[in-house]
Amino acid sequence: MNNLTKNIIRFFVFVLLQTLIFNQLEIGYGFHLMIHPLFIMLLPFEMGVISLMGLAFLMGIIIDIFSNTYGLHASSLVMMAYFRPIVFKFYGPREGYDPLKEPNVFDMGNRWFTFVFGILLLTHHLWFFLIEIFQFNQLFFILQKTIFSAVPSFLICLLLQSFLIKKSKTK
Amino acid sequence: MRNLIAFLRRFQIFLIFASLQVISLVLYVQFLSFPRSQYLTTASNVTAKILTWENDVTKHFDLSKNNYALQRENIRLRERLPEFMYKLSAQKVKIQDTVFQQQYTYIPGMVINSSVTRRNNYFTLNIGSKQGVQPNMGVFSDKGVVGIVHNVSEHYCVVKSVLTKDINIDVIIEPIHLAGILKWDGHDPRRGSIDGISNDLRIKKWSRVVTRGGSGIFPKGIPVGKVERIESIEGEPLWNVVVRYSEDYRTLQRVYVVKNVLIEEQHELEGQIPPDEEEDLLR
Repeated sequence: MNNLTKNIIRFFVFVLLQTLIFNQLEIGYGFHLMIHPLFIMLLPFEMGVISLMGLAFLMGIIIDIFSNTYGLHASSLVMMAYFRPIVFKFYGPREGYDPLKEPNVFDMGNRWFTFVFGILLLTHHLWFFLIEIFQFNQLFFILQKTIFSAVPSFLICLLLQSFLIKKSKTK
Repeated sequence: MRNLIAFLRRFQIFLIFASLQVISLVLYVQFLSFPRSQYLTTASNVTAKILTWENDVTKHFDLSKNNYALQRENIRLRERLPEFMYKLSAQKVKIQDTVFQQQYTYIPGMVINSSVTRRNNYFTLNIGSKQGVQPNMGVFSDKGVVGIVHNVSEHYCVVKSVLTKDINIDVIIEPIHLAGILKWDGHDPRRGSIDGISNDLRIKKWSRVVTRGGSGIFPKGIPVGKVERIESIEGEPLWNVVVRYSEDYRTLQRVYVVKNVLIEEQHELEGQIPPDEEEDLLR
């Protein structure tokens, strides 16, 4: 399976997972699981920022249509896609990334993945709740929601990778 | 000109980023108040189809509870049928009713997609303009008020629920008929608050809150919830009345859409008021 078809399949898998399963899980207390940022994270290293942002926008709009948020997911995903190359550069090895590798937890190691994806996921969630609530006197509530949603989302993204990625590698 | 092109090239990435952000934020802000088309919502055909398939699986999860609720409502209605009553007088009486005319009719529907944890929560129903649903109709369930229809397509509609920022349903607190406006602060899907109640008024805890029926969207007396807490707002002569909703929106399935037969007459009449006072009266 080449890279393009793999990513196209992943795109639909992530959209359906997010809209049909994770959007329907309503736990309350500010928990709001979002796993679709993992798709943007897993795109190949050599991809340009512009195509990254284009894909992020497309994916965000589709998820918005399913959840009646009209551009909220698109905005926060584009935000994440914009910061992805910057964070990658900051945490990258000195000789640059190996283009044969993929930015997942198995190829790049726990430490790298936790830092990079953690920062990106926090950016995404913070922007999402900032725009959604948009009241600065509720800053504490925004931060609480961000932390409460980002931590479980991160753990589920770790789990999901062992379902989605190891299998595709053995094929 | 060359400088401009060089500038655009240099900041190309940032400009694309900014324009994508602007597009999505403008969409977000505009659609919250004025839904222009149904294609960006769950009322559109493709998304609603997919969500219906999903709902076909998950709707059975609460089946016994829902059946029980419907059964209870049936009993309540059946008790009012003449066949179920004991006749005290042997004579048959036929009443030709000229005092009451039916004002509200109801369209039954089912929630196929919902959320309760966001700042603005919308519910998608499996009924649409074919069944006679139009925007700005009220929606309620057997336990309480649900929301107002926001956007309609042929077979589906999106309801702005009471769990949104500016839902502004007019309600009254029952025994003394205090009128206020229902709001939601985005924290807890079980509690809302009522705005605009002056703090010299006495309110009893656990008194019932029902709809006022002033704007013709809801009939009068549909339950909303009960007063749970009364807090004073600093610097304002108003109470913040916390209401515990009688409906649990997290497990909501069966709802009714209210169709007001006389709404056009009311709007026509209210449209004759000079425009500067109009804002207070139209919800």
